Amino acid sequence: MVIAHLARRAALFALPLVLFLVMGSLIPHFLDVSNLLNVVRQSSIIGICAVGMTYVIIIKGIDLSLAGLLAFCPMISGMLMLAGVGTVPAIAAGLAAGIGMGLFNGLMVATLAVPAFITTLVVGQIASGLALIVNGGRSIGAFPAGFVFIGNGTLLGIPLSDLILICFLALGFFIQRKTALGNHINALGGHESVLRQEGISASRLQFFVFGFSGFCAAVSGLLLSAQMDTVHPTQGDAYQLDAIAACIIGGVDLAGGRGSIPMAVMGALIIGGLRNALDLLGVHPFIQNIFIGSVIILIVFLGGVVRRRNELATRGTL
Amino acid sequence: MAKGAKRPFGAVPGRMAAWIGRHVSFFIFAVLAVLATLCVRNFAARDNLVIILKQSAIPAVACIGMTMVLMTGGIDLSLGYIVGLASIIAGILAKTLLLPVPEVVLAVLLVGALIGLANGLITQYLRVPAFIATLGSGYVIYGLAQIVSQGSIVNRLPKGFLAIGRTDVLGLPSAVFIAAGVALGFHILISRAIFGRQLRAFGFSPKAAALSGVPTARINVLVYAISGTLAALAGLLFTIRVNAAQPNMGGGVFTFEVVTAAIVGGTSLFGGIGSVAGSILGVLSIKIIENCINLLGVSYHLYLAVQGAIILVAIIVGNLTHHRA
Repeated sequence: MVIAHLARRAALFALPLVLFLVMGSLIPHFLDVSNLLNVVRQSSIIGICAVGMTYVIIIKGIDLSLAGLLAFCPMISGMLMLAGVGTVPAIAAGLAAGIGMGLFNGLMVATLAVPAFITTLVVGQIASGLALIVNGGRSIGAFPAGFVFIGNGTLLGIPLSDLILICFLALGFFIQRKTALGNHINALGGHESVLRQEGISASRLQFFVFGFSGFCAAVSGLLLSAQMDTVHPTQGDAYQLDAIAACIIGGVDLAGGRGSIPMAVMGALIIGGLRNALDLLGVHPFIQNIFIGSVIILIVFLGGVVRRRNELATRGTL
Repeated sequence: MAKGAKRPFGAVPGRMAAWIGRHVSFFIFAVLAVLATLCVRNFAARDNLVIILKQSAIPAVACIGMTMVLMTGGIDLSLGYIVGLASIIAGILAKTLLLPVPEVVLAVLLVGALIGLANGLITQYLRVPAFIATLGSGYVIYGLAQIVSQGSIVNRLPKGFLAIGRTDVLGLPSAVFIAAGVALGFHILISRAIFGRQLRAFGFSPKAAALSGVPTARINVLVYAISGTLAALAGLLFTIRVNAAQPNMGGGVFTFEVVTAAIVGGTSLFGGIGSVAGSILGVLSIKIIENCINLLGVSYHLYLAVQGAIILVAIIVGNLTHHRA
């Protein structure tokens, strides 16, 4: 078991390395520092979402509201900024919208036991609809320089987007590994009965997890708009599948209870790198989507096979 | 109603709530119809009612398949993308390759059935949760549709092909009667045949159903195959209505509309509960809302958000009446 675990870890780290080296040998300039930083910058959108999504999947849920939130939250902030509100309060409003919608997801899951994939699908649809309504389906752009700097500026030569991703990676990792909250979240996905015996409220954890995922989606959406200096009302659609794929490639278990934030972010980098390489090779995004859709199904299937074998093995030894 | 049955009878408000809960789709439909007639000008005009029926026919066909999938406790998120793939394939076969009409119809339905079958096999035998399997396959299907179409739209389709859904019968296009026929067939299948009983038993409790000798694997695969076939039929009718075959037809928005209709129609998200009649009422209800939004001249985008709101109301009402008390 331990060896298998270590082998899995090693494989997950070696895979992207090999992948990047292969792509580097195939594509000129792929391994240039500037392109790699660019890959991280593009992956930051998926990566930040994947941090929140990991918690949601750990508690056996899924967050399908990302596509809507990635457009709706920056749309709120963008409209406010163009209306003359300061950058900071405008960003705060967008973040609040994301957290609010995430908490609503949590409310539906915690109090009405609605399956996560339904409530998040619905909330995502409402958010998409609102993103279209508030500005009549048009994009907005030309934001204050301070906001655009967040997406395109650098600090000591490193893009701010990369630093924000690292912050979320650290925050997510810290909560999961170093706090009681993180322990409880892991327990909620894996050993719910233990949690109940300890008298810990599952619904409060669900509120936190979905609220946090909404927060991550809002940050990610704002960052995306800052990078492009535009908010398009359907800009989120392309990123939802990638965020889920990042978690799944990073070994987050859809059956709940297991998942590591750094691995999910690694998954995001793999997806980002892959898309970047395929773009450079001139492979159409539709074909990329076919590939990513198939990979998701394949990995979930293989994960299930491994899990059932492990369960059989432990039952055998007992 | 699995849990509701245990509840002691006698308290009148509880019984009322349960009764309303069983017929929630009818109440939503009736309230919307009355409100629309009273508040929206020209809603009750004969022409407008015909338009609502025309527009309901296509999602109604797809919604029947989705209802059956939801009754097993699963979901088919690839449904809208099958519509797009069916559309472009129908267009290419009918216009570019000039195949005879029956062959086009058969080929398109077969494609839908095969995709649905693949969804079913993936959820049943590879044990991938339905929402992930169909989310993934949805992207694959969408990509395939784009590749098949080469990014172009096939329009001005042959007359013989258009006649399937456009022939005038008693003042209504034949598509409405096709939808009604499909609905009647599946209504009998679900409410009168053994298959329907087995489907509900499986939805309530797969384990208990398997122990009672219900062929659970076969049912679970079959519902996705049916959903895929009906999605392809919906794509065919959609293509005929707009006289253009395009890969972007349907999509996530259509899937969501169909899920909304099924849930407004009283289908339980927890499996086991659902009916064709309820789902048809659900489709009519949301199409009434869409129609009013059009008549009132409000932004069409509002329809998306309102659908989300109404699905939430339906979930909450359904939850209160089915699972609480």
